[in-house]
Amino acid sequence: MLSYIAKRLAIAIPTLLLLIIISFLLMHAAPGGPFTQERALPPQVLANLEAKYGLDQPLWRQMTSYVWGIVAHFDFGPSFIYKDRTVNEIIAQGFPVTLTYGSISFALAVLIGVTLGVVAAIRHNTWLDYLAVGVSIGAQVLPNFVMAPILVLVFTLWLRWLPGGGWEGGQWPYMIMPVVALSTSFMASIARITRSSMLEVLNSNHIRTARAKGLPERKVILRHALKPALLPVISYLGPAFVTMITGSVVVDMYFSTGGIGKSFVDSALNRDYAVMLGVTILVGALTILFNLVVDILYAWIDPKIRY
Amino acid sequence: MVVDTIKMKSLSDRLAAEEVKGRSLWADARARFVHNKAAVAGMIVLILVGLFAIFGNYIAAWSNEELDFGVMGQIADLGGPSFENGHYFGTDDLGRDLFARTVQGTRISLMVGIVGSAIAVIVGTLYGATAGYVGGRADNIMMRAVDILMSIPYMFVLILLLVMFGRSIFMLFLGIGLISWLDMSRIVRGQTLSLKHKEFIEAAQATGVPAFTIIWRHIVPNLLGVVAVYATLLVPLMILTESFISFLGLGVQEPLTSWGALISEGAKTINYGTLWQLAFPLFFFIVTLFAFFFVGDGLRDALDPKDR
Amino acid sequence: MNKLLLSTILSVGLALPAVAANVQAGDTLAENQEYTYWLLDAIKSMDPQINTDVEGSGIMRSLFEGLYNEDQVGNLVPGVATGYELSDDKTTYTFKLRDNAKWSNGDPVTANDFVYAWKRLADPATASEYAWYIELMQIVNASEIIAGEKPVDELGVRAVDDLTFEVKITAPLPYFPSMTTHASVFPVSQKVIEANGDKWTEPGNLVGNGAYVLKEHILGEKVVMERNPMYWDDANTIITKATALTINDENAALTRYLAGELDRTSVPTGQYPKLKAEYPDQAVSVPQSCSYIYMFNLDEAKGPAALKDVRVRKALSYAIDRDTIVDKILQGGQSPSYNWTHHATAGFEMPDIDYSHWTQDERNTKAKELLAEAGYGPDNPLKLTLNYNTSEGHKKIAIAVQQFWKSVGVEMTPNNMEWKVHTDKMQNQDFEVARYAWCGDYNEASTYLDLFTSYSGHNNGKFFNDRYDEVMKESKTAADPAPLYKEAEQILAENMPFAPIYQYTKVEMIKPDMRGMSLTNLMQNWYLKDMYRVAN
Repeated sequence: MLSYIAKRLAIAIPTLLLLIIISFLLMHAAPGGPFTQERALPPQVLANLEAKYGLDQPLWRQMTSYVWGIVAHFDFGPSFIYKDRTVNEIIAQGFPVTLTYGSISFALAVLIGVTLGVVAAIRHNTWLDYLAVGVSIGAQVLPNFVMAPILVLVFTLWLRWLPGGGWEGGQWPYMIMPVVALSTSFMASIARITRSSMLEVLNSNHIRTARAKGLPERKVILRHALKPALLPVISYLGPAFVTMITGSVVVDMYFSTGGIGKSFVDSALNRDYAVMLGVTILVGALTILFNLVVDILYAWIDPKIRY
Repeated sequence: MVVDTIKMKSLSDRLAAEEVKGRSLWADARARFVHNKAAVAGMIVLILVGLFAIFGNYIAAWSNEELDFGVMGQIADLGGPSFENGHYFGTDDLGRDLFARTVQGTRISLMVGIVGSAIAVIVGTLYGATAGYVGGRADNIMMRAVDILMSIPYMFVLILLLVMFGRSIFMLFLGIGLISWLDMSRIVRGQTLSLKHKEFIEAAQATGVPAFTIIWRHIVPNLLGVVAVYATLLVPLMILTESFISFLGLGVQEPLTSWGALISEGAKTINYGTLWQLAFPLFFFIVTLFAFFFVGDGLRDALDPKDR
Repeated sequence: MNKLLLSTILSVGLALPAVAANVQAGDTLAENQEYTYWLLDAIKSMDPQINTDVEGSGIMRSLFEGLYNEDQVGNLVPGVATGYELSDDKTTYTFKLRDNAKWSNGDPVTANDFVYAWKRLADPATASEYAWYIELMQIVNASEIIAGEKPVDELGVRAVDDLTFEVKITAPLPYFPSMTTHASVFPVSQKVIEANGDKWTEPGNLVGNGAYVLKEHILGEKVVMERNPMYWDDANTIITKATALTINDENAALTRYLAGELDRTSVPTGQYPKLKAEYPDQAVSVPQSCSYIYMFNLDEAKGPAALKDVRVRKALSYAIDRDTIVDKILQGGQSPSYNWTHHATAGFEMPDIDYSHWTQDERNTKAKELLAEAGYGPDNPLKLTLNYNTSEGHKKIAIAVQQFWKSVGVEMTPNNMEWKVHTDKMQNQDFEVARYAWCGDYNEASTYLDLFTSYSGHNNGKFFNDRYDEVMKESKTAADPAPLYKEAEQILAENMPFAPIYQYTKVEMIKPDMRGMSLTNLMQNWYLKDMYRVAN
């Protein structure tokens, strides 16, 4: 197991390098640069700027010095657009925000999703089951960019219960709508997956045996059925995590949370090379880490899998 | 929203175990599919949506780019759904007919979904089948590469691609297709591995049929079940991805539109008394996505029946 | 509004009364004097010499103060300077600074702070994107310093003593004093910058001489400013705390305004009439110094052949139904445009442009005739592409123009691209027709008209006209440039290097108890220190 983890982490390095190279080349190949403006800069001013940010160097040198900066000093360079700040500062400010609302959404989606799914499966073909299925059907495909404005309209403008945006250091009233907007569709997907795999498990032989032994239903479900039923949910978590990061773009845009999701889209559009690379590397590293965690979880739950 | 990989695995295991001739497999599957109400309903919905996309233009009273100067400027009051002025679904903010635009958006979204998932399926199948069939070192390297690519935040790369090449519909197809073949290639590889040692393959090898021909003639056709199910389940994911891209403003060019573009336009103006601009495209979007899911699930269950 | 008159008065040493929040007779101040407003995007920099955008400038004007400020209508009022003298050859300005101006850390503001800041703007090491502004001010040696040909110390600015700041310019520039209200030439404290390096703009480190100090600056969330007790006119400043919230979607911002979370926000395209009817005391539309055009590419090599024919350009311009665009799409009180300079620009006299009086039918008929003369018709339709950058408003106009042109037989393909690509293509003449807008840097017609000279760096359509260049050169030294500007506009109308479309208004929702918002200032330069809230 340990050697498996070590191997996976070793792959992470070439993966991140590949990611850096792809992003770096794509970014530089895109028309326009960080200093392209509607009022063209005089050539001399542009030259001064490019000299200051090292853009006058050949591409390979920019790339190697960038990678070296990260490896040697953990320095992701200065932002080309937010000139008062370094990429490290931008990420240090935005990432905790994204992490906070992201992990709360994630935890909620799993907890409620699984509970809903299990309940629906146990009460198969009752009104509860239909309700759970019905709700999850709608919620699953409702894009969060539709959900967000509806939430603001209802809870901020009509009911005046919640602030329409902002973060204020993560106070809970500011967190509710971002979390709801981000987690709902995952919650619904998890509920659906849990329900169907639970149904399958409940019909399997070893549950029948457990029941036949006269174990109380509660015990049957919690001790014997839940664990195997969660396998598909766990394999869903990896991709769900990545999709959630994408969803944070919408959250940051609508709720002014100041997370890193928006930084990525902005930096790509503004050609803020350093911020774009920094965020991409961060998300790439997180994805690798998360996939690893999912695999470990999977192995822990399913004793048949050996690494 | 993702394809449930465990169930896909179960399906591919079963299909690999089936007799190769497989006539009865498909016949049985058809019978089971027809008895699945949700799947049949989904199929009917898909057919209706398809008809809407193809023939909707003949019903529309307006073209998708004409501006109705009569309602322009007073959309909230005059631009609502109405049979009198021919705007069955109302108009958009510029006074363009929303019915015609929904027809047009349906075409683009379905096309993105189908072409995108076709690209994913073709690339994934060929890649996975090759890796599985060739085996050994090549297989190892190819699958390691898939591992690496899996850890790339593809949405970020897609945004970069669209930024770099501009918003072309071709790039959208390609970008969306190329980011989702990875799962497919893993499933296909697994199934190819189990097929590889079947007698008919070994027979072909013994008679000196070249590797590529074996893959193409004998392996790929046996993968059809998995591929069909996977493709059906992939289409809604592609459509969802496209809608996000459209939301970011990197989607198709005007006067073309897509569900994603229409929905995100509609969502922006929900508070301005023009709710139909969101309601109609969103209805088509949700209904179609669910129809695809039901059909995909139904197909899978039909091909991989469990004792229930 | 007459800048020339104003500078004559100032040059004989008369100081105007400084106006801080000028509470109108009869207004009772509200108890709550906090103000919250909307920002579309995060502020990119809090450094006056690095800042490039309009939103940033608004914050700069609160945290710093330049030689002069503008009042509610845009007239100059003393800031740090109390007055100036102009030498007889009109190339040396000597500004007298007030003796009670202080930095927020208590240090006095001296002429050296201005010298340091202005040199810093020109210094290649600063690499300021607004370095061109000091070139525009024609300060001696500015261009050479930016180009790295001369050391930065040779910039034509000097501290005669602590309270006397002298500027030498290369040629007379009648509107020079009004250029000192720009954020790029605000003073900064050398001591603070050298002590904190790149971190000097962080809340806590930042030291300014404006009426407010920076309390918080969270990227993508908000900027918070509070009163600076060291400010020389703090006694007359009223707003206690200002918060700027970043909201990336203007519709979301409007919803939050309606929910009472904002005191000022912009109105999304097309929503003004409805809001005006519902909130007559809150929806406002005032002229703003920007002009919206479709530029034609006349470049020798890259411009399409069809556009080299003036008849085609005229036809295209005639066929645009500006009234429909303004009244039915934008709906925010914008004015249809037949020329380049914004109509409300100070001292600008609108020339008589023939087709502005025609009806749209007459224009369309004429357009068809001209196209037919140029050899285009149903058998040989003119085909063009239009580049525009991603934005709801630009998209709507592009689609409408596509339909207008279609009605005279021109097939136009709109080509939407993100902003950087659009700009890059324009600057490399990779376009046929392109959306373009220009906002005045200062309230004088030359800020617009200079753009179409052959030596302008922004003449992306490569329109060259010798007479035009002559007129614009002449205007720089003319006692009264107005007739020359009029001639320049006539040349543009005759040659039609672009199709004018509309001139901007600023369309906003403002809480009815807010006062002192500088709405009558065409440049929309507001000052936080001038604002206040009244009790209802």
